[in-house]
Amino acid sequence: MTSLEELREINARCIHCRACQYAYSGEPDREGETEDYTGMLQGCPAGIYFEWEGYFNSGKQWMARAWLNGEMEASKELLEVVEACTTCGMCETQCPNYIDTVHVTEELRAAIIEAGIEPLSKHKAIAERVRREDMRNPYNEPRKERTAWYDGTPDESGKKVAYFVGCTGAYRQQHVAERTASILKKVGIDFTVLSGEVCCGSPLLRTGQKDAFELVMEENLELFKDYDLLVFSCAGCYKTFRNDYPRISGKPLPFKLRHTVELIYDLIQEGKLNIKKKYAKKVTWHDPCHSVRHVGIAIEKEILANSDNWLMDSRKAEKAKEEHYEIPRVVLKNIPGLDLHEMYRIKGDSFCCGAGGGVKSQYPDMALATSKERLREAASTGAEILMTSCPFCITNFQDGVKALKKEEEETGVKQPGSDLKVVELLEVLDELLE
Amino acid sequence: MTVKYNHVTDDVVKKLVNICGEKYVTTSEPLRHSYMARGIMGLEAVLPEAIVRPENAQQVSEILVVANENLIPVTPAAGGLSGGFALPAIEPGGIYMDMTRMNRLQVDVENRVMIVEPGLKSGDAWRIFKTKYPEWAPPIPDGAPPAATVLGDAIERGFSLVTGVYGPQADMIMGLEVVLPSGKIFRTGSWALDGAKPYYRWGPGPNPDGLFLGSQGSMGIITKAAIKLIPHPHFKTVVAYGGKNWDDIIIPTWEVSKHEMGIAEHTVMVQGGNWPLVMTRWPKSNVPVDYDFYKKIGISEYWMNYEIWAWTEEELEYTKKRIDEIYKSYEVKANTECPQWKLHPRQIASRLKKPNKIAISYSLWEAGFLFITWYTPWLESARMMEEYCAKMEEYGFPPTMWVASIDHGRQAIVMPILCFDSTEPGIYDKIREFNLETTRSFLKKGWLNYSPDPFVHAPETFARTPEYYDMLVKFRKVLDPNLILHPGRLAIPWEAVTDLPNPIKDGN
Repeated sequence: MTSLEELREINARCIHCRACQYAYSGEPDREGETEDYTGMLQGCPAGIYFEWEGYFNSGKQWMARAWLNGEMEASKELLEVVEACTTCGMCETQCPNYIDTVHVTEELRAAIIEAGIEPLSKHKAIAERVRREDMRNPYNEPRKERTAWYDGTPDESGKKVAYFVGCTGAYRQQHVAERTASILKKVGIDFTVLSGEVCCGSPLLRTGQKDAFELVMEENLELFKDYDLLVFSCAGCYKTFRNDYPRISGKPLPFKLRHTVELIYDLIQEGKLNIKKKYAKKVTWHDPCHSVRHVGIAIEKEILANSDNWLMDSRKAEKAKEEHYEIPRVVLKNIPGLDLHEMYRIKGDSFCCGAGGGVKSQYPDMALATSKERLREAASTGAEILMTSCPFCITNFQDGVKALKKEEEETGVKQPGSDLKVVELLEVLDELLE
Repeated sequence: MTVKYNHVTDDVVKKLVNICGEKYVTTSEPLRHSYMARGIMGLEAVLPEAIVRPENAQQVSEILVVANENLIPVTPAAGGLSGGFALPAIEPGGIYMDMTRMNRLQVDVENRVMIVEPGLKSGDAWRIFKTKYPEWAPPIPDGAPPAATVLGDAIERGFSLVTGVYGPQADMIMGLEVVLPSGKIFRTGSWALDGAKPYYRWGPGPNPDGLFLGSQGSMGIITKAAIKLIPHPHFKTVVAYGGKNWDDIIIPTWEVSKHEMGIAEHTVMVQGGNWPLVMTRWPKSNVPVDYDFYKKIGISEYWMNYEIWAWTEEELEYTKKRIDEIYKSYEVKANTECPQWKLHPRQIASRLKKPNKIAISYSLWEAGFLFITWYTPWLESARMMEEYCAKMEEYGFPPTMWVASIDHGRQAIVMPILCFDSTEPGIYDKIREFNLETTRSFLKKGWLNYSPDPFVHAPETFARTPEYYDMLVKFRKVLDPNLILHPGRLAIPWEAVTDLPNPIKDGN
């Protein structure tokens, strides 16, 4: 699906039941550890922050319907409401009508921009930087520095595996890129990194700037077309390559792809990896929306797309999705000494960190409020470590912790979550692997 | 009686902001569109001109005073009326009062009553009771999604998870707090006496509750309702029996229910349907459409579920045994077969789950559906469903039908689920024709709509009940002289919803 018009019949399935506003909307009897976290809970970051119906998916679906029916003109006001969404997909998990809620939101954003409304200021700046040949990244950094973090030789020929680093790994969290490269070496994967790599386009697609997205998508597809396998450390890049490239380009990917956490999972499952070093800490795990929920949903929908009997196959599809949600958990359970304490909202019902969909740049207050809510939930588990595997989650949680600490200083009141240490799983894995 | 309403002006918006605060008033076009809905319980919707989110009854009262002074229509709504929710239906859209901020719940287990505000959602009520009052249950709507509100269901006289025993949800009301269009706030039942608990529905004098129940906020805005709690025994199961025709499930159910005491007390929710009820929950293009497949996977052409709640295992087993005996006896008497449906534990758990999302997925069939709900005497429901299914097929709709017992099989709620392609040009006209034809036929037989469409069922019904309608209009004028509240299910003002001759001769 590449336009809102093509999603008309999907959008028409919405009856405005509002189940999508809640995590565990289908499990009102779900037992939590505390009264704060039990039963169905509000799960939409934008809806919680702005409160109006239009910020929830349930309202957005009807704004999209009004747009499709020609009942509403393009306006900056409309774009501002529609862009205030992390595209986390919590709503999509809840919908019994399998509405592609995030695609509808993204395509509505694109349709408004295509109708002549300028992208919002921060989003526009991102696209301008990515469009520049001397940058091709949203961080205003020179393209020639993209592989500066790498202590090996980029662009090595004869390799069949490439590590797609992503802009955040290349320019902002180089330590994660270094750790990932180190993991790949330790597990015996013969890989290279490419200096010609460009932004995956995720922030452009999420914010409705499809022209710029298609430009970088084509460049990346051309660059990596002869590789057998692409490995990722960034959840957003991974989801964009895996789910969005084939959908938007209309062609199957010419390579296989795996997130590094999935790669470790594969090796554990095949009996080829045994982590021996201990990590004796009390940990809670945050599911990155991109690499966990979105990929899980895609797995489910891929099975249904090939089924002529959803009644019989829907359970199989759901099971495959649930198996995907187990991947990080299997990895964590294979780390000796790691004491995992799950939060209440997890897997498909996980509460977003608040950074995605262009929200961190354009709506920093909403991003921070969402981060703090998730940190409070993490703190309720009694964990000392909040672990995840996504550069945006890490950044936004670290900002959340800082904000909570500041609130403590200002009020003198202890803020749950302020003591949490935010940790990238890939860093831990690199420390533990020999 | 043609009413000319005014538009919401900037001056009115300022007054609304003064009442509720800037944060809770909007005229934003995108946000106004975000409240729209067409389907499930109603197809007509007009864009409101302003949305306001009051916090309490006092604010509701002040908003109504402003609306009255400026002759602006008002539509109150919260989370959902068994799935859908009220929207303005006539021009201009006026003020839409989003009641979701008013979502408080008070529980009084001693007097077995809970006080709910309009925004309290079923899923939240269920969670609170499960953790804090596990021996009691809130009578939330059955089959409605968790975001449907408890009060929305109650004021619609909807069905709850114990309707089979306790009757329509409105029968559970012990008192109401109502804000009249004039801005006056009053309470009904014993609650009218300052400081009294809502323990006696009929005091201190004649009870006006009925004017506000089933009118969907057309006579006054309900800001609190005292609703009976129900005991919550934890021995539960579901048994189901199949049949070759509607009679095969309707007649044995009457036998189970009519004695009222004994096993009838334990069969709290009795509901059934036909095999398309399973089929149309999936996309038309991605599911078998012949009965053969459903037969193979063990689905009867017609079936009835009996949800049983009991205090002991023995009580549960006895109830199951007696239902089985009744079916076996009926099989002999009617020379038919009504096999028990061997439900998988997962199927039982799914049926026992409250609230649930079971009703939502009828949109998958062709991206649109409408519940049309009727009351009939229980034993007449088989005839109605036969006629309904035949007519649905004639119009090209799958004959998806659901039925439930109300108050020990005194009445049936018969609900065809009209699955349609909402993107098909002219589909809403076709549905209107279907609705008109079936409505005219059913009204002649004495059957009544439960949530009448304001443009079809309501005028067709009231055209046949002129004296009743005359009285209704008079009550409405006493309570809402400027008719600022939306027409709801009442077809008031008449000319706003229909071209039929006004049943009140002089039109006043």
